[in-house]
Amino acid sequence: MDDLVTRSVCRLMVPFVQLYGAYLVFYGHLSPGGGFAGGAVIAASFILYALSFGQETASRRIAPGISHLMESGGGLLFVLAGLFGIMLGGTFLANKAAGFYMGIPGQLFSGGIIMILSFGVGIKVTSTMVTLYNSLSKRG
Amino acid sequence: MEVNPLIIVAIVLLMAYTFFYTPVGQIRNFLVLSVLFIIGVTLVLAVSEMPLFGSAEAPAYNNVALFYIEETVPQTGAINAVAAIITDFRSFDTLGEATVLFTAVAAALANLGALGNKE
Repeated sequence: MDDLVTRSVCRLMVPFVQLYGAYLVFYGHLSPGGGFAGGAVIAASFILYALSFGQETASRRIAPGISHLMESGGGLLFVLAGLFGIMLGGTFLANKAAGFYMGIPGQLFSGGIIMILSFGVGIKVTSTMVTLYNSLSKRG
Repeated sequence: MEVNPLIIVAIVLLMAYTFFYTPVGQIRNFLVLSVLFIIGVTLVLAVSEMPLFGSAEAPAYNNVALFYIEETVPQTGAINAVAAIITDFRSFDTLGEATVLFTAVAAALANLGALGNKE
């Protein structure tokens, strides 16, 4: 599909959609949202880009190798953050007992491990949806 | 009304008998319709036993919900109770969900051959 209107609108929309997705991921412990919803929004922006600009242009923005790395990296970040709790003297995936930075409730940097885990889940959901779209649309 | 588990087992056995052991025809149609009618009546009776929407006596409003409302901010430092439950109180469950996503992608890539392994 090669349409001037679609391409122009998508070029304007994609940055804002991605910004909103990042907001959902990083403010997950303060407002409705979180890793799953934010990752899905970011992945939707990539899929929108691929739909309007074509698969070749989109895979230059986010290469399949990068997507696979993000897929493994998100899960590894989750597990490593959990193991970090053991190193610091708590249990697996411990938050307050492991001494993560609690901060003042309501501020952005608060809640300790919650933001890290949301980030990992967001990366993982993004790469999952992008990878599934790529592999399903490759054969036509 | 308490729904007896024996009734459910009987319905399942009746369904199996209907679908596998009766000849195709009017008798089978009658049996299928009667089984569906029994299941429908059971479901309607079960729904009529559910608590009203927003009722304070619903079984979901027990001390667990009260614990989350009271202990979320002191124990996790997050003001969003849902995020605190997902990634702090129940983070093992979220790890399992991430594993499910990983398994789904691995299975899809293996089946679609998207990793470059030619047939």
